[in-house]
Amino acid sequence: MITINAKTKDLKALNLALKESVNGTPVTVKNAAQLHGIGAGLKHGEVIIESSVGDYVGVLNAGATIRVKKDAGKYVADNMTAGTVIIEGNADYGTGQYCYGGTVVVHGNAGDFTATMNKGATIMVTGDVGDEAGTYMLKGDLIIVGNAGRNFANYLIRGNVYIGGQWQSIGHNTKIEPLTDEDEAKLRAYFETYQIEADPTIFKKIVAASEKPFYN
Amino acid sequence: MAVIGAFCVSVNKELCINANMPGKCATCAEVCPHGVYTLDKFSGEMEVQNFNACVGCRICAEFCPANAIRINPAEPEFVTRYPWTFSTVEEIHHKAQTGEYLLRGFGTHGQTPNFDMITVVPSQIASAAPLDKYREECDMQVVIGEDTCENPVVLKAPFVWPAMSFGALSKEAKMALAIGAAMTGIATNTGEGGLVPEEAWLARGYTSKEMTDKQWEPGGYLIIQWSTGRWGVSADYLNSGDAVEVKIGQGAKPGMGGHLLGAKVTEDVSRVRGVPVGSDALSPCRYYDVQTLDDMKHMVAFLRDVTNYQFPIFFKLGPSRPYADVAACIEAGADAISIDGMVGGTGCSPDIVTQGVGIPTIACIPPAVQALKDYGVHHKVKLIALGGIRNGLDAFKAMAMGADAAGFGSAAEIAMGCRVCYACQKGNCPYGITSQKPEMRARLDPIETGKRLANFIHACTEEVKILTMLSGHRATKELSPEDLRAMDVNTAALTGLKLCGYDRALPFWEALQPAQAGGNGHK
Repeated sequence: MITINAKTKDLKALNLALKESVNGTPVTVKNAAQLHGIGAGLKHGEVIIESSVGDYVGVLNAGATIRVKKDAGKYVADNMTAGTVIIEGNADYGTGQYCYGGTVVVHGNAGDFTATMNKGATIMVTGDVGDEAGTYMLKGDLIIVGNAGRNFANYLIRGNVYIGGQWQSIGHNTKIEPLTDEDEAKLRAYFETYQIEADPTIFKKIVAASEKPFYN
Repeated sequence: MAVIGAFCVSVNKELCINANMPGKCATCAEVCPHGVYTLDKFSGEMEVQNFNACVGCRICAEFCPANAIRINPAEPEFVTRYPWTFSTVEEIHHKAQTGEYLLRGFGTHGQTPNFDMITVVPSQIASAAPLDKYREECDMQVVIGEDTCENPVVLKAPFVWPAMSFGALSKEAKMALAIGAAMTGIATNTGEGGLVPEEAWLARGYTSKEMTDKQWEPGGYLIIQWSTGRWGVSADYLNSGDAVEVKIGQGAKPGMGGHLLGAKVTEDVSRVRGVPVGSDALSPCRYYDVQTLDDMKHMVAFLRDVTNYQFPIFFKLGPSRPYADVAACIEAGADAISIDGMVGGTGCSPDIVTQGVGIPTIACIPPAVQALKDYGVHHKVKLIALGGIRNGLDAFKAMAMGADAAGFGSAAEIAMGCRVCYACQKGNCPYGITSQKPEMRARLDPIETGKRLANFIHACTEEVKILTMLSGHRATKELSPEDLRAMDVNTAALTGLKLCGYDRALPFWEALQPAQAGGNGHK
């Protein structure tokens, strides 16, 4: 195990150290709360961050596994294309935006605009999410174990949104469909993999009403 | 305001093939983007059914095999009936019938403040003597990112192709722009629709992915656009070019994101963008992942990091508040800032936005330059003027006003063959420039069209050289507003240029000199 103390490092120095270090051996990072963009564009390896982190952790992640032991700032795993980002605390505004692939797991609450413009990732939040979660989602799965705020799944175009709790209001271009056996099996598999305590059978599924809701 | 109306369509029935042999020819009906002509399925006769839809592009006249069509403007309409011209009447009828607002491709039309009321001041006896264009050299090179990255962009001429996305343009048009850039040493730009793989090697002058066979000298550059829709974006995408451009806005629709209507979202476009075939790809109007200027600074930091500090970072602005917006880009860490005036082009936009929103290009440049000066980075952070730049004369004027380079977007489309029909959004471009249909795309040969684009750049480069040297300068970086005069009060008022005859700036501009007023009073 390699340990890096980020207290006196800037983003360039830390990310360079990560790129050079992630060759089969997990890297532990301490004191990284002040940095934004940790692990940007990593293609492989495992990074464990023991502190809280700033914004844009795991941005453009292209295959690495990044685990944050405490809370994360805004824009977790922004524009990720592959890999896994796990937040063991809460995540702020805009978790999992613009992702093309990979998995984001927040073992806590996530803020507004979670999974906005998701284009293929699996994004799971074990707690609640704020307003506008799943806005203009184009592909992938968004799974909320708790509750959602206003305008949930607004202008959904494609992909699946699952929720175990309630929403304050649902967005445009959405419809509720019954959970299929495949959906249940998928959710169960996710919950087992990421050790999430939830009963798939109580989840509701939201899909797009139309793939072309803007201009006829 | 509307595109529709304002032209008279005349068909010479003696020449028209269809008039003489119904069913034999319907070329005009096939190529017209606006449905001016219709073919009667039963009689085979072609009719001019919708006169008021003509926008004067004359594509029908160009394609007519019998040379039977004449299109004449009906400008008196705007004098005698304004404001209730036929085009306005038709627009209102359209809205009343459909409940839909108009969309438009290409850009603004009609009169807006422009470069034409600015004249170039040549050298005579009282200033530095003019230089000889034919026998002396002129330095037009522009270096971007000299002090901030490992691999600066070095433009051989002070021009770029601005961002035009795959989806808005065909793959062949994107390839032609890349080849044109390679042949002239300028930069092309992916736009926000992801990467056409060929762009990456064609722009550098190579004919294949291996980049071992350089075909086109001196080779150009590829700017990778990072935008609000983030279509086709990954770490590899960002590293496939020579620079990254952060798009904030564009001239044709500032405050709105990109529009790609479902008609142009083919399987290829769908694959790159990750949207369903046939669905509208509408980019957000803002970055969902930026809420503050600090966020933008962090974004620039991670973009530099992901690209290993190799490439310069560009920003692209729409025409809003040029001084404050340019200042924000400088603070965010820009190496170059493109500012796109209201006449800037688009593949699709709401008509009212393209026609009625934003600041003209000539009014964007002076405040942008002032911001750069106030931050002490004029000509260090490069300013690129976009929006209705038509030739070397416009580009020269933009550079004399303080820009370092200029971009040709709409002019590039015209150089490729476009006739400005304002219907790019429909996907039926008969020249294959803005269409995704295979039969239209087949009409555009990327290499031949790339040569046309290179010819256009060569001609404009010579124009800039002529003007630079007759003004007594050996380099475009020596140009200044003293090389220009405004020819009317309005232009002098918008630009701060000296007014012909009066030979000084208008009093309120003189009162705003930086030493006296802290730079436009903003900073």
